[in-house]
Amino acid sequence: MRIEQQPAFVLHARAYRETSLLLECLTRDHGRVGLIARGVRRERTRTPRALLQPLIPVRVGWNGRGELATLTQVEAAASGFDLDGDALLCALYLNELVLRITPRQDPHPQLFADYAETLARLAYGEAQAWTLRRFERDLLAHLGYALVLDVDGDAGAPLDPERDYAYRHEHGPAPWRDARDGVRLRGAALLALARDEMPAAEHLSSLRRLMRAVIATHIDGELRSWSMLA
Amino acid sequence: MSSPLLNELIDALRCLPGVGAKTAQRMAFHVLERDRAGAKKLSDRLAAAVERIGNCTRCRTFSEDAICSTCASPQRDPSLLCVVETPVDQLAVEQATGYRGRYFVLLGRLSPLDGMGPKELGIDLLAARLAENEVRELIIATNPTVEGEATAHLLSQIARAAGVRATRLAHGVPLGGELEFIDRGTLAHAFGGRQLIEN
Repeated sequence: MRIEQQPAFVLHARAYRETSLLLECLTRDHGRVGLIARGVRRERTRTPRALLQPLIPVRVGWNGRGELATLTQVEAAASGFDLDGDALLCALYLNELVLRITPRQDPHPQLFADYAETLARLAYGEAQAWTLRRFERDLLAHLGYALVLDVDGDAGAPLDPERDYAYRHEHGPAPWRDARDGVRLRGAALLALARDEMPAAEHLSSLRRLMRAVIATHIDGELRSWSMLA
Repeated sequence: MSSPLLNELIDALRCLPGVGAKTAQRMAFHVLERDRAGAKKLSDRLAAAVERIGNCTRCRTFSEDAICSTCASPQRDPSLLCVVETPVDQLAVEQATGYRGRYFVLLGRLSPLDGMGPKELGIDLLAARLAENEVRELIIATNPTVEGEATAHLLSQIARAAGVRATRLAHGVPLGGELEFIDRGTLAHAFGGRQLIEN
């Protein structure tokens, strides 16, 4: 299978053998793919090594089928996102999340668009926590794990913004009973995420706990970036 | 092959970078056929090195003593501390520059996907070092990669918390390079970091 000019982002690159790199890329039309970039760590190489890094919009070509294909071409699609400081740590978190939660060769063009949009928001300096929560919500939806955020999972009644809820896995919000229910959230926090309106700060932190609990059930473990993001 | 020991040797040689099954086999036959003395020397040195070389308790670079010769040297300026990712980077800085300060070796870079976090990089040891109030400038010499930049950010936060000036290596056009062939990112950095020509 020969692919050319496929819009992509490198999620992770690691050294492989003497002069090669193993890349995990998120592509628009082929989902996450594993690619070998042969010989690019040599001093003289025709492949621009600087492009084979995370957070730069590139177009890639590859040849081969199966788990790992061979990179045949890479060129810049646009300038890289100018991320620094905490925004950069957020972007590394996005990469870890996407790499751990998406299967290889499972295309989600909208996920690719959302990923690029999220990097742009981080680069523009939009509120980081809220930007990440929006991405996580949409990512889960693209992968078929969409959260129920506006109605009670049992009764199907609209959520009361003033009441406390627990989020039951694969079930949805239910009225909060006690600590065994897990993450406790105000109805207003869930509704804000459902309506895509930025909630108050205390609701943002409860949404973060909710997302971590939900993501943990899908990736079978924890993300390392969680210990780095406050 | 009838000799299990030979097979084990071939297997063991494959732990070296760039050595596959064929190369390992060639190496094993070579030392057995032609250079047993060399092989004995190699095995002695290898055993001694693995046994005795540890990490310096001050800067984490490879050292046979608890404190490496660079950290122990009175000729070195204790107010300058250069942070590098690996001992090879330390060697590169040492050979290319006239730097006379001290080093701190992270033995990696911040990369959640590779399991490298602040704990693995010895950030607590570095913070304790800065708290001793001897260091005036922290020279951040991590690589200009995404992970290197994230690491630099973390280091600059620690320096700020300790009230130490943090500096970062400049990014720019390689000497003898041509602008036409330089990638956009490097050129943008070089342009943004342009310097006043002192007359």
